[in-house]
Parts: sequence; C-alpha cells; structure tokens
Amino acid sequence: MPEVDQKTERCQECKNKSQWREDFPVGWENDNYITRREMVKFLALGSLTIAGANFVLAGIPHLVKAAQMPRTKIASGSSIPAGSSALFSYPTEHDPCILVRKQNRDLVAYSQVCTHLSCAVIHREQENALFCPCHQGFFTVAEGRPYAGPPTRPLPRIKLEVHEDEIFATGVEVS
Amino acid sequence: MSTRRAQGTTLFTALLALIGIGVVVQLWLLSATVDALLRHENSTPIHAAIASGVLFAINGLLVLYVINFDRKMKRSRS
Repeated sequence: MPEVDQKTERCQECKNKSQWREDFPVGWENDNYITRREMVKFLALGSLTIAGANFVLAGIPHLVKAAQMPRTKIASGSSIPAGSSALFSYPTEHDPCILVRKQNRDLVAYSQVCTHLSCAVIHREQENALFCPCHQGFFTVAEGRPYAGPPTRPLPRIKLEVHEDEIFATGVEVS
Repeated sequence: MSTRRAQGTTLFTALLALIGIGVVVQLWLLSATVDALLRHENSTPIHAAIASGVLFAINGLLVLYVINFDRKMKRSRS
C-alpha cells in the first residue's frame, strides 16, 4: 500500500511539473476570465482608437479636395416647357438627375436619388414637388428641401448654366 | 478582505465604470461624426474629434491613476 501511494504521489507531481503546464499555465476554466485590470487596459486602448478614428474622420474633408466637375450639356431650353421636367445624368452616366422648369420659367436641377433610401424621385406638377414613390417622401422644387415623409436631408443640387438655348450642368452642390 | 483592499476594489470598479461611460460617449461622438460627414457638414466632425480627444485624456488620466493605485496596494500588501 505505501508503495502505491508513493507512486500516485509521484505521478501527481509529474503532472504538476510537466512541460506543457509551464507552456500553458492558464486552466481551461479560467480561459475566459477577464480581470478588472485587463478590462481597464482594454477600455483605455479602445478610447485611444476611437479618438484616433474621430480625428482621422474630421481630417478627411480637409485632405480630399473637391474633384473638378465637368461642364456637360444636358438639354436645350426650348424642349422643356414651364411646369415640366426632364431627366439627365450628371456627373457620370450612373448619377441620375432631374431638371425642372418652374412656372416662373426658372430652371432647377437636383440629383434624382432620394436622400432616404436612394429611390428615384419624380416631378409632380400638381403639388409643385419632387416625390419619392417608395416611401412617400416630398421635396420642394424651389430648394430640394424635404417637407413630408421620411427623408431628412435635401437633394443635392446641380449647378446650371444657360448659354443661348443650351443648358449646361457645371457642378453638384450638397447642402 | 481588509477594509483598505475593499475600498480599493470599490474605487477600481467605480473608475472602470467611469472609463466605460467615457468610451460609450466617444462611440456616440464617432457615430455623430460619420453622420455629419455623410451630410457633408465639416464643422461637427472637428468639434466631435476635440471632445473625443478630451475624453481620451480624461480616460488616460483615470487609467494612470488606477495603475498607480494598484501598484501602491500591491506594495503595501507585500
């Protein structure tokens, strides 16, 4: 009996002093345990990361210069009677826009992409509004400002230039 | 647990909560920054970044205090 006990004891000793125990000192049950000290360090590191990200984001508009917009002919003036609208693409063919001639014969143009969820807005002459049929959003024709429905941001305005009878788009104004 | 150690644990937990609140506010500022950038508004991100930097400074000071406090506690125990 004493021999067996001695063996068991020795074996237990072997287990405790084995090489793998030195390499992996953390027990399975303590694997996911995080101490307050570790948590404080993690939060401090997170705080630094967030502050850094905030500074980088704040610097982006100052670092990236506005791209030069092309001057593109979009329509001829006589083709759009008062109170009607025409569609065009600006600055690329993947950016749909809408040109509206108001009742007072002034021209305005906006991006056709609704600022809510990017559906295409259409001109509604009766309401004198730009209307988004997806979620019943309404924008004023005069300023592109949302006044009903879910959109909260105005439509980007397209800068126009009229030369003789030709209408040119010269830039995009985001407010 | 001795009174001093119990007090230390409470202080540590309270500071941990304070730093956590600071980080949550920083996350809110970050989301406000992204929102302002998407609206092409340039002034909000600068103010949010400054506020975030101030919060980080406060958090950093709290962490330094906690680490020093912890060190003192360990020294007094040994």
